[in-house]
Amino acid sequence: MKKVLTIARKEFTSSFHSWLGVLTATLFFLAAGVFFVILILNYVKISMNPQQYGLSNFSGISQTQYIFGSFFSNLSIMFLFLVPILTMRSFAEEKRQETLELLFTYPLSDYEIVVGKQLGILLFFGVLLLPLFGYLAVFRWIGGEFDWGPVLLGYAGFWLLGAAYLAAGVFFSSLTKSPIISALGTFGVLLLFWILDYVDDVATGPWARIFSELSPLVHYKNFTLGILDVQDVVYFGFFFFYFLFLTLRSIETRNWKS
Amino acid sequence: MDLSRSIKFDNVSKRYGAFHALRDVSFDVNEGEIVGFLGPNGAGKTTAMRILSGFFPPSSGRIFVCGMDMSKHPHKAKRAIGYLPETVSLYPDMRVIEYLRFVAKLKGVPSHEIQGHVRSKMSFCGLLDSGHRLIGRLSKGYRQRVGLAQALVADPPVLVLDEPTTGLDPTQIKEIRELIRALGQNRAIILSTHILPEVSMLCSRVMMINQGQILASGTVPELASCLKDREAVHIKIKNSEDQERALKILASVPGVEALKIAEEVRGETFISFETSPDEDLRPLITKLFVEQGISLTEIQRLQLSLEDIFLGLLKDGKLGRRFS
Repeated sequence: MKKVLTIARKEFTSSFHSWLGVLTATLFFLAAGVFFVILILNYVKISMNPQQYGLSNFSGISQTQYIFGSFFSNLSIMFLFLVPILTMRSFAEEKRQETLELLFTYPLSDYEIVVGKQLGILLFFGVLLLPLFGYLAVFRWIGGEFDWGPVLLGYAGFWLLGAAYLAAGVFFSSLTKSPIISALGTFGVLLLFWILDYVDDVATGPWARIFSELSPLVHYKNFTLGILDVQDVVYFGFFFFYFLFLTLRSIETRNWKS
Repeated sequence: MDLSRSIKFDNVSKRYGAFHALRDVSFDVNEGEIVGFLGPNGAGKTTAMRILSGFFPPSSGRIFVCGMDMSKHPHKAKRAIGYLPETVSLYPDMRVIEYLRFVAKLKGVPSHEIQGHVRSKMSFCGLLDSGHRLIGRLSKGYRQRVGLAQALVADPPVLVLDEPTTGLDPTQIKEIRELIRALGQNRAIILSTHILPEVSMLCSRVMMINQGQILASGTVPELASCLKDREAVHIKIKNSEDQERALKILASVPGVEALKIAEEVRGETFISFETSPDEDLRPLITKLFVEQGISLTEIQRLQLSLEDIFLGLLKDGKLGRRFS
């Protein structure tokens, strides 16, 4: 466990030491801010004149639901660029620089390497989310009101979806020597998940059911609506560990591949 | 089976699909020995070293490090080994001291000892002044030192060095060699190289590898005795038209082996052959050539170099018997 933490810490600090990590964190913070401000302005506009938007009674729409629900569901689009960038270096860069070879010769198990790296990225991603709490403070300060429950659930859902996607990204990174190919592959798969969400809307019958069960975004939607369903948590847990397992397998291929 | 050896390879093979990178390789190395792996590129040196370092397991066969079976106790065995890969690839965005601490933690050096431990390795490798420099900004020679320092972390009794002097300038090569020699006194070291003089300079024993097999292995004195019972004779003749006749004459002389035309330069032909040093064939050959009217301009005895033996081995593996 100590070794896992050592690797996680190295992974975490090296993300901060690279300009790419800092740039990604900054861009994410700013983009999230833009989403947030636009939603608040929208809310203000609708609340001024609800009839114009076809709403007879505005009191039913809470600030928590309108602003934070939409905020988290909009924010998930950020994963399309965030996940490939955060994960592309994890294994691919080490393979390219051949630093992984040395790591394999230390008294470590493969799972310690994989879990350590994954943990480091999750920590970095967790830190990316921290400044978002600053927006909550600003929201309070300008006179907004929200319920902590659904907001925290939204954060948790966002983090779970992120963790699942990051595990997929790390897996793609373990397949190649090129960070660019890793990023493109990850982007492709995330796009596929995105499309799955749309297919789910048009499909009918049993297919609709299958697509909606498979789609990460459908499971994520519950969190944004403030609904905590064990099924969704289990889904993301399965998603995460499945890709962790695939990464471990992919790392083991060195034993028989040339 | 004697398990007291520092390193023991027991019928180790490695296959990549149909390609055999190593075939039934067995050898052992004791403490205090520096063993040189010698072979052309692609001979299997790096594969053998990667297996020993625990990078990947062999397809068959067993490896013991200080008596521990690598497949049964991989962590313990790996802790007993320091590995310097062929291309010393280190994290360019880490500082030297930070990197060595990272390695020390991974190798399980107790936390309260890390500070002093890392410092002693840095001092041994001459890195004390570079501790806070980024690895990516270091010169090749210094990076090699960091590579050596990481191999030494946790004081492994076995060192595996894959071409430790490649790509360094002569001063750096000399420094690294001195470090290796100092380390070899109380450790078992395997180093691979394709620089032949390096072997005679550093190693107490040599193993020649080609196509995944050990062609020959022996101590340097054994090699030297082998060198003594063979020597090369170089002959230069003036006219290349006489070449055919000269070869015919030489082939008929008893004791002439490995006869060949070495070179043809500006109408002059160089012929070389190997023979035993007990008998000097030069007067006889000179006499025969004069009788046949072949103008001989030079005839010279040369000791076979390690290079000649090596090339000879690669060609037909003939000399292999002498070593084993």
